[in-house]
Amino acid sequence: MAKVLLIEDDSETAEEIAAELADRGFEIEWSANGVEGLDKARSSRPDAMIVDRLLPGMDGLAVIEALRKDQVRTPVLVLSALGAVDDRVRGLRMGGDDYLTKPFAVVELVARVEALLRRPAESRETTLRVGPLELDLIARTAKRGDRVIELLPREFRLLEYMMQRSDQLLTRAMLLEEVWNYKFVPATNLVDVHMGRLRHKVDQADEVPMIHNVRGAGFILRAVS
Amino acid sequence: MRQPQFIRSNTFHWALMVAGVFAVFVIVLFGFIYWQIDDYLTARSDRVITAEMDEIVGLSPERRLEAIDDRLRQDPREVHLAAIFAADGRRITGNLESLPSDLRIDAPAQRANIIRTDRGRREHQVIRAIARRMRNGDVLVIGRNVDEASEISHVVGQALALGLLPGFGLCLLAGAWLSVRAQKRVEEVNQRVQRIIAGDLRERLPHRTVDEPFSKLAIIVNGMLDEMETMIHALAGVGNDIAHDLRTPLTRARLSLERGRTNATTLEQLQTVADKAIAGIDQSLTIITALLRLAEIENSRRSVGFDSVALHEMLREVCDIYEPIAENKNIALRVIATHRLDVRGDRDLLIEAVANLVDNAIKFTPEGGRVGIELLRGDKATILRVTDSGCGISDQEREVVLRRFYRSDKIRNTPGVGLGLNLVAAIVKLHGFRLAIYPGPGGRVEIICPDHKDGIKELASFVKCGQPAATVRVPSPEKCGRQ
Repeated sequence: MAKVLLIEDDSETAEEIAAELADRGFEIEWSANGVEGLDKARSSRPDAMIVDRLLPGMDGLAVIEALRKDQVRTPVLVLSALGAVDDRVRGLRMGGDDYLTKPFAVVELVARVEALLRRPAESRETTLRVGPLELDLIARTAKRGDRVIELLPREFRLLEYMMQRSDQLLTRAMLLEEVWNYKFVPATNLVDVHMGRLRHKVDQADEVPMIHNVRGAGFILRAVS
Repeated sequence: MRQPQFIRSNTFHWALMVAGVFAVFVIVLFGFIYWQIDDYLTARSDRVITAEMDEIVGLSPERRLEAIDDRLRQDPREVHLAAIFAADGRRITGNLESLPSDLRIDAPAQRANIIRTDRGRREHQVIRAIARRMRNGDVLVIGRNVDEASEISHVVGQALALGLLPGFGLCLLAGAWLSVRAQKRVEEVNQRVQRIIAGDLRERLPHRTVDEPFSKLAIIVNGMLDEMETMIHALAGVGNDIAHDLRTPLTRARLSLERGRTNATTLEQLQTVADKAIAGIDQSLTIITALLRLAEIENSRRSVGFDSVALHEMLREVCDIYEPIAENKNIALRVIATHRLDVRGDRDLLIEAVANLVDNAIKFTPEGGRVGIELLRGDKATILRVTDSGCGISDQEREVVLRRFYRSDKIRNTPGVGLGLNLVAAIVKLHGFRLAIYPGPGGRVEIICPDHKDGIKELASFVKCGQPAATVRVPSPEKCGRQ
């Protein structure tokens, strides 16, 4: 069971987050201020941390900085009410691994925590495999079983990202940030359109679907069981 | 005692100084006139007495006495003086008591202090006189009273007083008047400004003729006030807009929550209600995010982070992202950008701007239409052009559409926050570029990036093409993402 340390001064928000994560099977530890949070981070060695930016006693970014100085590489999700691009950049530069602006949807938070816990290891594999799906990163070809899938470069990139994170919920915001490097939310529902195209190619009518749409949350690539 | 305010004013000090300089100038002038006249009169007296002397010396001794007596008798103004002294200093005739000790004999006419004895009184006088020793040893003295000169100096002095004092006084009065007037105007302006500060935005500064500096200043300030009033009204409108746009979805959310709480009987109904409420809140959040983003861009000083951005690549990327959306709507999305053109800027922001334009173009183009993205060289500028076959922006709307927070009724009824063009305008402005919107039919929006010293670096291939700098349209539109 993954242990998550939550450092958040607003108790109501913290309770909601803790309850939600507990429902999803995480073990939650909560600190209401930065100093205590830093102590807990050092002593109980959580698998991931959620840190609010503005904390009494010690700023959230200072907590992360102190941890990084101690060579603690625990993945950190920074929460902040400061939504400007520059704030985000600063948060990530100070050692945060991901940045989520308040207010956020709970599914978004959970998806990001899970993504932090299951970050793909640096692999030298040149072929990705999920169930019958096979992606050759050198030849830039894709196959499902024996069927060759013709992919446009952008579809290839999207599928590669999803295969590296199979069985994980990927939210639209995550895909926009990671696959398209979008720093803003476009008016049109870009992700759905692109995903629709990819799904059309990956899952054909007579096949068991692999790309699943989680309503109101995002998408999951599942190996066919 | 408190001085009247105008005495401390700058204008009055200047007037005082000018009056002083004027007085000194007049005094010097009058002094010069007096000195000249005095000189002239003395010279004339000297000539007269020298001539008389010559005349009397030329007479026989008896005739001399007669001549002197005649002279003294015919002298209503009592200016003539004459006497003959014996060698031992005894007076033989004349109206001088004695031979003046300081009078040099046989010298030209000079000043002398004498005592006049005729008409029964003894009177000290300063005169011009000449003395000559005659052959028999007697000394003949001829003199002339030059009181005329002092009379003239008196007249000159009177004239001076008559002219100078009123002049000086007038200067001071004018200075006082001017400074009081200036002060009045300042006070008037101050009162109006206080009213403006108090919130009366329609108040303006008073101005009379155009050529007066004060009025010119007032006109300039009034122009500024006009501008600010417009801006403040626009902002107030914006506030109302924001309030309206935020309240609408929030009201919807609240209503559905309330209804759900009372009416929902199954979990499913409750979930539907919750979904509706969440959608409403999300829309409010989107609006807030867009507004904050706009403020962020408008206030940012990002130019330090500017780098060379390869526009042709960027356009392909935008096209790549939007192509599926265009295809879904059966819209042909074309990019025409064969030449490498770089500008200095923030890549992320420029992508955001172009993406917004393309997003808009696709949104407002009916099915089966086309949207084009072009990169071309204009007159000393690189032009990013987005065209579509939609209804375009009407001529009337063309100007207002760029005004901050302007929302067309057309936009209001389509999904989206309606701040897209404002965002584009803000990004364009941040880069020092220009946004040009052309009237319909068909949408055509251009981002014009003027060449800076180091702004545009054209690749050799472009130069080799030998194309003139004027708009280079490259034929053979290619479909992006498929080359």
